[in-house]
Amino acid sequence: MSETILLDRRWIARGAERSSTLHFLLWLAPWVFLLLLGIYAAGLCFYYGLNQTNMDNRFAFGMWIFLDLSVIAMGAGAFFTGFLVYILKQNDLKPMLNSAVVIGLTCYSGAVAVLMVDVGQPLRAWFTFWYPNTHSMLTEVTFCISCYLLVLILEYIPVLLRNRQLRKIPSFLIFEHQFHKLVPVLAGVGTFLSFFHQGSLGGLYGVLRGRPFAYRQGFAIWPSTFFLFILSALAVGPSFLMLVVATAEKITGRQLVQQGVFRKLGFISGVLLALYIAAKAVDTYIWLNFTSPALGFGPVDFYSYWPLSSTFLFIATVPLGLFPAILFVVPRTARHRGLLLLAAVLTCGGVLLNRFVMTVQTLALPTLPFDEFLKYTPSWQEVATFGGVIAYGVIVYSLSYRYLPLFEAPKGEDKHVSLG
Amino acid sequence: MFPWVDGFHWTATHIIFLSLFFSAILIILSTLVRGIWRAYSDFRAHRATAMCWRENFIALPEADRRCRHQLAGRVDFRTCDNAFDCRGCPNYANFAELPASPPTGSAGVSFSNKLLYHRGHTWVRPEEDGSYTIGLDEFAQCLVGRPDSVKLPTQCEDIESEGIAWRMTKHGHEIRVRAPLTGTVVSTGGPDKGWYLKILPYGPVNLRHLLSGPEVAGWLAAETQRLQLQLCSSDAGPCLADGGTLLPDLMDAEPNADWDTVLGSTFLDS
Amino acid sequence: MIARYGMVIDLDRCTGCGACMIACAAENNVPPEPPRATPRTGITPMLVRALSNGRDGADRREAFIPITCMQCENETPCVAVCPQQAVEVDKSTGIVMQIPQRCLGCRYCMTACPYHARYFNWWDPQWPPGMEKSLNPGVSVRMRGVVEKCNLCHTRFHGAEEKAAVAGRKEIDPADYIPACVEACPTGAILFGNLADPNDPVTLAAHSPDSFRLLERIGTEPKIHYKTTQDWIRALADKNANHPTEAQHV
Repeated sequence: MSETILLDRRWIARGAERSSTLHFLLWLAPWVFLLLLGIYAAGLCFYYGLNQTNMDNRFAFGMWIFLDLSVIAMGAGAFFTGFLVYILKQNDLKPMLNSAVVIGLTCYSGAVAVLMVDVGQPLRAWFTFWYPNTHSMLTEVTFCISCYLLVLILEYIPVLLRNRQLRKIPSFLIFEHQFHKLVPVLAGVGTFLSFFHQGSLGGLYGVLRGRPFAYRQGFAIWPSTFFLFILSALAVGPSFLMLVVATAEKITGRQLVQQGVFRKLGFISGVLLALYIAAKAVDTYIWLNFTSPALGFGPVDFYSYWPLSSTFLFIATVPLGLFPAILFVVPRTARHRGLLLLAAVLTCGGVLLNRFVMTVQTLALPTLPFDEFLKYTPSWQEVATFGGVIAYGVIVYSLSYRYLPLFEAPKGEDKHVSLG
Repeated sequence: MFPWVDGFHWTATHIIFLSLFFSAILIILSTLVRGIWRAYSDFRAHRATAMCWRENFIALPEADRRCRHQLAGRVDFRTCDNAFDCRGCPNYANFAELPASPPTGSAGVSFSNKLLYHRGHTWVRPEEDGSYTIGLDEFAQCLVGRPDSVKLPTQCEDIESEGIAWRMTKHGHEIRVRAPLTGTVVSTGGPDKGWYLKILPYGPVNLRHLLSGPEVAGWLAAETQRLQLQLCSSDAGPCLADGGTLLPDLMDAEPNADWDTVLGSTFLDS
Repeated sequence: MIARYGMVIDLDRCTGCGACMIACAAENNVPPEPPRATPRTGITPMLVRALSNGRDGADRREAFIPITCMQCENETPCVAVCPQQAVEVDKSTGIVMQIPQRCLGCRYCMTACPYHARYFNWWDPQWPPGMEKSLNPGVSVRMRGVVEKCNLCHTRFHGAEEKAAVAGRKEIDPADYIPACVEACPTGAILFGNLADPNDPVTLAAHSPDSFRLLERIGTEPKIHYKTTQDWIRALADKNANHPTEAQHV
């Protein structure tokens, strides 16, 4: 038993305080179970087909697309933090970088995995690359997300190679040393790619002329939802990052970053959230008064069917929009850690609500005059797969925290040592 | 995707889109290739060992990176900024001229004036035939006691300065002992022989980075103090550390201490 | 010849018998529905929907409207959104073609279609033993995981082209190209023809004051027209018509 513990200990950085092996396994156990359940559900879908879900011809997109859009928005913290640190030189955010990369990696790889289950013919995924339709937003999403996943994997490799045992292998250490210097280039490419795919995910719905609830006018080929999704992703990325690190601090019982880092992330999140709400208000006004009436649809076609639908608009704008923005930006409230975290939770909630409304509510609303408002409940396979992705994220983050120096500032820049 | 594939259109949107995509992929892959190439170049130019040591050194806690001149009492406080490699240190000469004032009293462990000591707790003895004998110093021996296993390099194998000379295990901990010099292994010893390696250096030999004379006392005193603090349990009250000598076989005597940290500080392994 | 094949469906003649749906299913090798199928998971390239004016008693009016792919001409939504160009408009016929072998099954086109005229193969097709003998050899069977829709019986168009080629003609004989639903309709409610031909009865019917299209203001320019003298049906469609009149529920 002690040999096993020592084996585990050997992979943890010297002097780092970590919980015992048993405690860690107990923590992992339920998440592993959830992950296995998710894999089993996905396996059922691969084997039997998508009839395992409750999606149908009217709800062609369901919970999984909501999941994809949501996790990719949450994972925006990865590119945004990289942009802030490497390009805008906000060096006090450096301790958050590695966490942001891990979160981004799990969010994007989870989203891609779920997408593979979601499509009817996953083996044909390469067709989008081979016969791309450059007018389709989904093509843009596919290309950018694939490239960006590659970027995230490459950004994670130096973090992985800083593991205590892996560092002992000279080729790994030397590669990590050299590659680490090139990461700012990847951060730049990542920022560029992220802007496009975050926007295109919004564009997916904004271009649908056949769904007046989602259709928006915009700038050139990009509907307003393209820009709104970018703004909301920029707003929620730092919030989600903050929440994950705060949760890690709570669970591990130690302070991992300085409080000022949270406040700064919160401020950035708050400003962007306020900008987003303002832009969305203008957009909603234009949409309800000009865009959709031109298609023969008015507010009554969107908000009369279901009591909650107009409430959603209010909730997304005020309690989950303006209110957390104020909490983030006003110094008196931003000083309190509890209020900061509350604001982060509300921001995430607001973006989740927005993604839900754009994916699921759009499909529920009738377009043909003799149609009705439709309902959809995900099947257990869909929920299990969703749970599996969350579990996957928790497991990867937990392992990264335990065995990798997630919160050390990257070495080399601040300590000057010549080769001798 | 390519002009010969069905679905390729010679339109502005199509070409701009694919150009951006290919550019992004090219930048990403070239970054990876550059990283691999630079790493490969480091190995080809025999810089790898020094770089690995430097990375390791940077990762050590600051308390383990005291300059020898501070330990020798020449300066009050100085952290080494050259990975303990005084041979290439631009400031070495300035400090070496200052008078040394090593601590009086016992260093806590014995040492010899005839040996040169490496910061990784190995000693070096130049032989008449031009070879150098390398052994483990008293401090390390008290700590480790009798190692459970020793993995020495073979005859004719090369060791590089600041690389790994040999490995030992004790109670499941892997200990990597740093090489004080560069050379080819002529013969190997072991814990019973009192020495571990005999090497024949190639190229000019510079021993400036090894400690000798009054510096050794200061260094070992500091090491003993460090050891005492590291082995002290956290709930003990303030203690007066006023000398005494290290007992042998410490790892056997106190198997439950945080040897991971102690061994890392002692053998300069992060 | 550049044709624009379309339909005018007379809602005053449609009895809701469903013969068009059955003929379509037979022609296109649609498999029998599996036990867990629901009305929203079936494959019905031709689907007859029921309409009513929402009133009761003597004021109640009902009608039936066959919904099929509208063969949109202007910025066809499904063509624009398909990520791997598995949907395209055939320039010589105006038919919106689906390439099932290229379809990834992402279902983005289904989200984009305002008429909900696209259907996904949620199951692997299975026929009870012996029933495979009833399959139409001219139409390929689709596997699970791909989207399909009405293609105006394009294989029958191919058959007409072959016949014309054999007879040494360049143009097909319109009488040789009749989609299954048109052929099966007992009341002759579905008029099919070439909208590019100004003399074709379908063109004349499409231009009559009684004709309308669904969701005209969205601007997809569908080639499937509807015709009725019943005002309440027109009122339903008027909200989205290009020339909106006061909506009246009769």
